[in-house]
Order: sequence, then C-alpha cells, then structure tokens
Amino acid sequence: MEDLNARYARMAEAVVAGDAEAAAGLARQALDEQLDLPAVIEQGYIPGIRRVGELWESGDYFLPELISSAAAMKAALTVLGPALEASGAAGLSRGRIVIGTIEGDIHDIGKNLVASMLSANGFDVVDLGSDVKADRFIDAAVETRADLICLSALLTTTMLGQRRVVERLRERGLRDRFKVLVGGAPVSRAWAAEIGADGYGENALAAVKQAAALAAAKVTP
Amino acid sequence: MSPTVRILPEGLSFQAAEGAVLADVLDGAGFAMSLYCGRRGLCGKCLVEIVRGPLPALADEERALLARRRLPLNFRQSCRFRIEADLDVRVPEFSRLPRIPVLSRGVERSFPIEPDIRKIRLSVPPPALDSPVALLDLVRARFPRIGLEAAPGALRALIRAWEGGGPGSEFTAVVFADRTLLTAEPGDTADQAYGIAVDLGTTTLVVELVDLTSGAVIDTAAALNPQVKFGSDVVSRISAAFGAPDRAAELRDIVTASLNGMIEGLCARNGVPRDRVYEAVVAGNTAMNHLFLGLPVDTLAVAPYFAAFSVLPPVPVPDSGLAIHPAGRVIIAPNIKSFVGGDISAGLAAIDAGSHPGNFLFIDLGTNGELVLKKGPRFTATSTAAGPAFEGMTISCGMLALPGAVFKAEDRDGGTAVETIEGRPACGVCGTGLIDLIASALRQGRLSSEGHIAGASKRIPVDGPVELTQKDVREVQLAAAAVKTGIQMLLEANGTSVAELDTLYVAGAFGNYLNVPNAMALGLLPRVPEEKIRFIGNSSLAGARAMLLSAEERKRCEALVGKIDHESLARGAAFQELFVEALEFKEWS
Repeated sequence: MEDLNARYARMAEAVVAGDAEAAAGLARQALDEQLDLPAVIEQGYIPGIRRVGELWESGDYFLPELISSAAAMKAALTVLGPALEASGAAGLSRGRIVIGTIEGDIHDIGKNLVASMLSANGFDVVDLGSDVKADRFIDAAVETRADLICLSALLTTTMLGQRRVVERLRERGLRDRFKVLVGGAPVSRAWAAEIGADGYGENALAAVKQAAALAAAKVTP
Repeated sequence: MSPTVRILPEGLSFQAAEGAVLADVLDGAGFAMSLYCGRRGLCGKCLVEIVRGPLPALADEERALLARRRLPLNFRQSCRFRIEADLDVRVPEFSRLPRIPVLSRGVERSFPIEPDIRKIRLSVPPPALDSPVALLDLVRARFPRIGLEAAPGALRALIRAWEGGGPGSEFTAVVFADRTLLTAEPGDTADQAYGIAVDLGTTTLVVELVDLTSGAVIDTAAALNPQVKFGSDVVSRISAAFGAPDRAAELRDIVTASLNGMIEGLCARNGVPRDRVYEAVVAGNTAMNHLFLGLPVDTLAVAPYFAAFSVLPPVPVPDSGLAIHPAGRVIIAPNIKSFVGGDISAGLAAIDAGSHPGNFLFIDLGTNGELVLKKGPRFTATSTAAGPAFEGMTISCGMLALPGAVFKAEDRDGGTAVETIEGRPACGVCGTGLIDLIASALRQGRLSSEGHIAGASKRIPVDGPVELTQKDVREVQLAAAAVKTGIQMLLEANGTSVAELDTLYVAGAFGNYLNVPNAMALGLLPRVPEEKIRFIGNSSLAGARAMLLSAEERKRCEALVGKIDHESLARGAAFQELFVEALEFKEWS
C-alpha cells in the first residue's frame, strides 16, 4: 500500500491542480480504506488549499485557479462530509458563517470567491446571495446558529448597509452573539473600525485568515 | 402647361408644376439647397442664377441683397421663386447645402450642415405711427409659421441691436431650433457662428471648436479628466459624490473649470470671441453627465442603477457652467439606460445606427466597455465596466497614447520589437501596445494563456526601464474578460451568433492602431473577418459634432435612444462562470 504521506501529498496536489475529480476520487478511496478522516483533511487536503493561498499571494494563481481549487476542495469535503458527521468527529467545521452582499448591491463574484475559500478552508457557509437586507442576515445567523456574519459591499452606498447590520444587531440585543467581518472594494480597516465591525478582509485569502481568528476568539454561548 | 426647368451646367431637365417653388424642384432633383432661414427669404443662401426665362421684378430687399453680395441682377432667391414658364437655372456652389463627413475614417457618411443655431441678418423698419406694433412682433412677422420665443434677456439684446446703428438699421438675430430667439447683435454678424463639441470622457476630456457655417473643426484641445483624483472609474466617482454634496460640487467644478480653460484657450488661439460661441454639445456617459449638471448620482449608486434623465431639453448655458454665450444652449447627448449614456448615443449617431440594414455589434473600449447590439430591428445595450486598463490606467507603466508610449509590438528575431509614439524613448505602454505585448509574449511562450509569466523575474521586459508586471497582466485579463463576457451574454440574450454580425464597430481608446489578430488572440474581440470591422475612433466626439452641426442628427439621436433596451449583466446567473472562463487568453472558438 502506498505510503500515507505520499497519499496525503496526492490529495494536496489534487487541490492545488484544481482537479475536482481526482480530489473526490482520493476522498472515496480514503473512505474505502477507512483512513482516519480528520487526519486526511488536516494533512492531506488542507495543506493543498493553504498552498493555493500562497500561490495567490505570489501572483502565480489567479481567480480561475482559486475557483477550481476551491471546487476541488469542496468535492473532497462533500465526499467525506457524511462519514465525518456519522463518526461524530466534532470540531471539523471551524465555524459557521452567514455571508451575503448588502442590500442594494447585486455584485457577487467577490463574495462568491470568499464563500468558496471559506468553505474550502473548513467553514460551514450559508450564502444568502446578494441584495440582502440587514434583518435577513441576522435572522439567518440566528436560525443557523452561525458564528460569523460576513458582509460584502461594492459601493459607498451599500457600505452604509454594513453599518446598519451592526446597528440592528445592537438594537436586537444580539451584538455579542456574532462576529461581523466586512469586505468589498470601498471597504477599509478604518471603516470596519468606524462601524464597530470585528474585522476586515481585504481579499478572499485575508478573509479566511480573519474568519479563522475571529472564530477562534469567539465564545459559544 | 408644365414648365421645364433645366439645370446648368449639368444639363438635367425636370418638369415642374406651374407655381411650384424653385427651391423645392431643385431639391427634388437632388440639388439640396441651403434653406437656412426656412424659406423666409431672409438669409440669401439659396440664390440661383436665372440664365434663361422670365425674371420676376426685384423687391428692394432682394436688390439690396444682390448688391451686398456683388451678384448680377439675374440672380433670385430660389425659396421665393415660383415657376411660371420654362427656365434655365445655374445653381452656384455657395447655395448648395454643404455636407460634411462624420468620421475621418471607418465609416463613409456625410450629412448636410443644418445646425440648431441659425443667424439671420434682418433689417426691420420702425412700425407705422398709426400701428405701433411691438418690436418682437415685427421680428416675429419675419418668421411666419412659428411663434418665435424670446426671454427677457433676448428682448434686451434685440432692442439694443435694433437701435445699434440707429433705429431700423440692420441687426443679426440668433435663433435656436427654429423656435427661440436667443439674442440679437447689431450689424451683420451672420457668418460668425461657432459651437463646441465635447467628449466628456471618464479619463480624457476632448473639446472641439467648430465653425457652424462651414462645418470645419477649427481647433481641438484635450486634457486628462481632473476627476481622476477621485478614482479612475465611474463607480469610485459615484461613491465619492453619493450623499456628499460638497464632493459632488467639487467633482462638477473641476471638470467645468478644465473644459472652460480649454474653451478659452481654443477661442483665444483662433481669434474667436467667446460670445460668438452659442452652443455646446456634451457627450459623456451617464455618471459623467449627471455630475456635470450637478445632479445627484444616487439612483446610479444602487440597483437597479437608473439615470435621472435620458433625453434632456436644451440646457440654458448659465445652468451648465460653461463659459460660452450666456444666452446660448447646451445639449447633453441623451442617455440610453443605466450606465450606457450620452457618449454611446453620440457614437451611434456618428455611425447612423438607426439606418443600419443588418446586424451589428458596437464596442466602445473605454473605461466602461459599453456594448450595443443591433439584431434585426432590435437594439440592446450593456456596460461591462471593463476598467481603464485599456487607457493605460491601473497598469504600472501604463499611459495615454502620448509621445513615448509603446503603441505597437512585433515578434522579431526571437524577441519583441516595439514602436513608440513619435519614436521617443519608451516611457510607458498605452492600450494598443498592451495588446501587442501580451500577444507577443503568449506566442513566444513567455506568458501562459492563464496569464502566468514564466521565469523567476515575473516580469515581461518591454524596453529599457519599461516592463509589464504580473499584476499588470492580471489587470488586462480582468478588463478583457469583462468585455468578452459582456459580448457573449449580449449575443446569447438576443439569440445571435458572431457569424450573424454584418459589422463590428470598434470605438474608443484604440483609435486607429489596434492590431486585430492580436486582439482576437487575447479573446478581446470575437473572430470576425477583418473586412467586417470598422474602427471609428472617438465616435462620441464625432457624434457630438454631428449633433452640433445638424438639428436633424440631434433629433434622430434622441428618437433612437428610446428604442434601445438594456441588458444587465450582473443579473445573469451565468455571468460568474463565463467571466472566470474568459480570464484565459484564448481566441473565440
């Protein structure tokens, strides 16, 4: 039988290559061979998506590569998901995130990319789509018992909607229940601080890092 | 009895109805006459020589006109001449309606010069003592069939002009759209009529000083739009202006100041007094013209992104902020829908889109990447928000097409040879150069179709210190993908294939130099036989000029706009997938 490390390397490679079929195939093989699933994810696939992040930062990878790698990751996770849940292996999900583009804004490629990368990096993502009203974000977060609300906006106008979400959380007495992460072209760290958000993600990769930090810092009620 | 009219020297003969107006007969025979004052016998621009045939007696005014023009007494105004018997007529060149080409290249089309601004020389004696008719009514009587309008300012000027050389001496009336008396000037100033055509671009402003009598472009000036300090694209300017009246006012003021500076310079350099400049036509995209007029851009900032106006009535000069004759008018080229604005309607006017018999795709490769598709009788427009990469912004070494810009590149001796504008040492790369350089790098394997630069340096050397970075390549990928996706979605939404296009019009940043095979290699342009492609350069400016010189062109533009539908790309679920796929540098299949 193939050396385990070599197998993990092939899993990572499938993600880096954006090969969804290979990633899913290796995942099914892992199930058949009853490999330790959390280890498969931690040492096989996750290093792959981390490497993708590095390649993005160095400029070697661009949007299409990011998307196909995220898709490959998702393919593997989809295969492994049911088995993981059944085995009761908790803590795989790094947290649940509600994400969407703010009311009045219909641009969603950036938001989609962030959602993909968050999902690929082990978060449970509930994507509400675009043109989402403040209360809908909050209702969804409450219903799904999310940890994090991620708000995307393209224009100064819809940026104001991000402030509205934070205000509504306070008005509804829910501010402490969720972490709020903001992003989008006109958004900045200063803006995030001004409106009382918990974090700012400059791009999809930064969003993943921020989300991880916020989720870790969060105390589940 | 049906008189025969023979036109010399061509020798063509026509039958005319007895009592028919000679100008109409000549017009019907294909000799379009300059009917400047609308057949009122006021302008003297339709004079013809009666070589043989009965000469009606000369009215005093007509005699004075011939004397002033130093013409023999067998000339008559064809708009007042009724045909009673056989005639031999010579139509002098100066009475034929001048036609002017719209574009310097790309499209063969000309139109007759019939501007909204008409200057008519008048001499109105004082009314009779027993019938002291008002001055304005005396003038109105010279313009039958219209109720000539005049605001108090125009009346003031009329009185002064009429009294100018002594009451009843000649003066010149300035009439707009055959409806409004704008102002009046003492003496005969009929040949001094000028206008301004403006391309109110997101990145560059271009201003032309035009002679409304001859149709000639006297001079041109261009400048970078100073609004770029608020951001290089329309979205950032909208963001700046939204809910911030001070910044909106600043955006307006800096652009107006720049335009007025150019107008002043053009007039001074060419000895044209600014108070002989009566009209401006301003062609800009929706956000630009809203900001120019000081209108809130709120409706453009959120979905469904709609404009405050499409066709706007002529704007009095003081409301526009432009420093031309204060009694004049500013025409804002009409907006189509959403972000597709006056620059595109002007561009469509330039190519006479409404008369195109088949299917065409019109692409404006500027900051906003607008597209218009005509499929049969249906027009659809969209904006792809390509970004200013093609105009040299967002590229590290990017620049406008100015001296020193690398505008062309070719494969040579295993490397890439470049050419710069005016042969100056390379100091940057402009849009067409960018296309050529990337195509060349792709062919030589220095760049992958996914946009990845081979080698450790992660740079594509261009010339000397000028080089393209990995990020620059990504910017071009994003811009080209936006345009490509837009075209695909527009064609798809209209059930049209590339093969069904009869013409591909390319306007905007690329002027005349775009290397078509290279643009196709990148996937920026669909694969269309070269003979179907028309480069129309700054069609917005050409359209603005056409509207300035022809009331008919202006009206046709306004009529077309209402017929154009809008396709919102962001709404399409397929957009993301198509866009991501389009990021690859690849020919259309």
